[in-house]
Amino acid sequence: MTSTENKEKIIGLVCERSVELKDQLDEKGCLKDDPNVQIIKVPCSGMIQPIMLETALKNGADGTFACGCRIGDCHYREGNKFLRERLLGTRMPKIKPSTDQRRIQAYWLSVLEYEKLQEMVGDFQEYLKTIDSSDAATGSASQAVEASS
Amino acid sequence: MYTERLQTFTLWIEKGLNKVFSQKYNPFYYHGALPNFFIWTLFISGLLLFAYYVPTMTKAYPSVKYITEQIPFGNAFRSIHRYAADGMMIFVLLHMLRVWFTDRYREYRIIPWLTGVILLTITFLVGLTGYLLIWDQEAVNLTSMTVNLLGALPLVGAGLAEFFMPGGKMVDFTLTRLLFLHLAIPGLLMFFLWMHYLRITRPVTDAPAPLYLLLLGGLFMICGFFPVELGADPNRAAFSQSISFDLLYMWPQWLAVKGWDAGWVWALTLGVIVALLWLPYLHKKTLRGQFAHVKFENCTGCSLCYHDCPYEAIEMVDRDDDTRFKRLAVVDAGRCSNCGLCVGACAFKAIEIPRRESADVLEEIKVALATTSS
Ligand code: HEM
Ligand code: SF4
Ligand code: SF4
Repeated sequence: MTSTENKEKIIGLVCERSVELKDQLDEKGCLKDDPNVQIIKVPCSGMIQPIMLETALKNGADGTFACGCRIGDCHYREGNKFLRERLLGTRMPKIKPSTDQRRIQAYWLSVLEYEKLQEMVGDFQEYLKTIDSSDAATGSASQAVEASS
Repeated sequence: MYTERLQTFTLWIEKGLNKVFSQKYNPFYYHGALPNFFIWTLFISGLLLFAYYVPTMTKAYPSVKYITEQIPFGNAFRSIHRYAADGMMIFVLLHMLRVWFTDRYREYRIIPWLTGVILLTITFLVGLTGYLLIWDQEAVNLTSMTVNLLGALPLVGAGLAEFFMPGGKMVDFTLTRLLFLHLAIPGLLMFFLWMHYLRITRPVTDAPAPLYLLLLGGLFMICGFFPVELGADPNRAAFSQSISFDLLYMWPQWLAVKGWDAGWVWALTLGVIVALLWLPYLHKKTLRGQFAHVKFENCTGCSLCYHDCPYEAIEMVDRDDDTRFKRLAVVDAGRCSNCGLCVGACAFKAIEIPRRESADVLEEIKVALATTSS
């Protein structure tokens, strides 16, 4: 039993141009500050398919988040905007309505904003503890997706 | 690379601006839209000036004087036109610096960059001719300096000088030609702006209304506090008069007054233009010929990727192989940025970028969860 046992397992899909995590990850790719958070990098948040987040939840993650650059500053112009719209359900392919959207969040942060990411992931973990998994109400994603503006 | 530091610098400024403006209204996120705002402001304020301007030696000055003193809000329009021109140059330069600093100016963005350098040159020429049209004593002095500089060019110099000052004299043609250029070059600007957007899907040409209001408010304030003035009548005044240079547009003339040789002024001007055109080729190529690939057997022809590609790199073509699908996505290798937005758009696992397969991402997610939950 490790000390991380009672914490929530989170998968984070992070754009390699947003928050700089070079010095923040252990050898398994988890956050050093919080080994329950597994980071998986992608070249742009616009590459993240809704099915990737759904897969994380289906395979046992308590929560999952996507992290891209500040809205307005995508290196490829529109990637984060599109992901945001997919999560909000206004752009195809959308996130499946049957997924528990309370367990999905999205953050929009620049290279310089690791502290903010840490803070928001911490809040997310606290929030995950309060929700009841049997009650898989599909809460609105909008609040979560707007989180960092 | 030095570019990384420039990028961090830009992001640091933007982080500060996000605190002031919030992410939604951060002016840096509308760096291409703000020059567009000034284009429209200049066009509208310029229309009124054009309606009253008379491009002849004897009437040019009185017509500007009439606009300044007689027409209701005439001088307000002159001031707006003047300061919007300064704003235009400042925001075009900021736009250029931002795309350079954030490394968004090379490879698949080469067309926007090269046409951008042309747009910058055009902006400069429009402003320069505009300053000469005022035709007070200052403008007349600036005109002869400008023609002197033009005359110093090898080969074409003599012809250009003759074009503006036939027989070495300022005549009515001088002004008609300046006015012609001042109106025709913006037409060219529109043409190159169209080219600028050729490879950009949905260019952001509009900023949110509050930003426009802020800019307009700022512009009106500057116009109110520092209304533009009209110098002495060139038909009467003594020749010698001090000139105040707007260095955004009149730096060649300023350098000439400071004692620079015309040859050096030209060397600097052309050197800057050539250096800017060259800049993207100095950087090491990072794509190395990578581009998105379509798996023909999976593609349903739904065209979602085609709509979402930010660099117009995907084309939908007809297909007549043994599938029930009518269309197929095809990627233009030269335009592709290798960004993966098409991967995010495709629900059929039919398109992939070589540097990150979507199947690998899914696999990593599963592996990570398998090892910890046991
Ligand atoms: C008349 C002045 C100009 C206007 C109105 C203008 C406008 C724009 C607009 C609206 C965009 C699209 C931004 C987006 O949606 O992401 C853009 C992109 C771009 N501009 Fe300009 N521009 C001007 C001058 C310049 C200059 C002087 C340069 C550099 C020499 C330049 C270089 C670029 C580049 C490289 C891009 C592509 C950026 C990207 O793909 O992210 N532009 N411009
Ligand atoms: S989104 Fe996928 S299936 Fe649809 S056209 Fe593009 S590659 Fe084909
Ligand atoms: S990776 Fe896909 S979306 Fe990005 S530029 Fe290439 S074809 Fe377009």
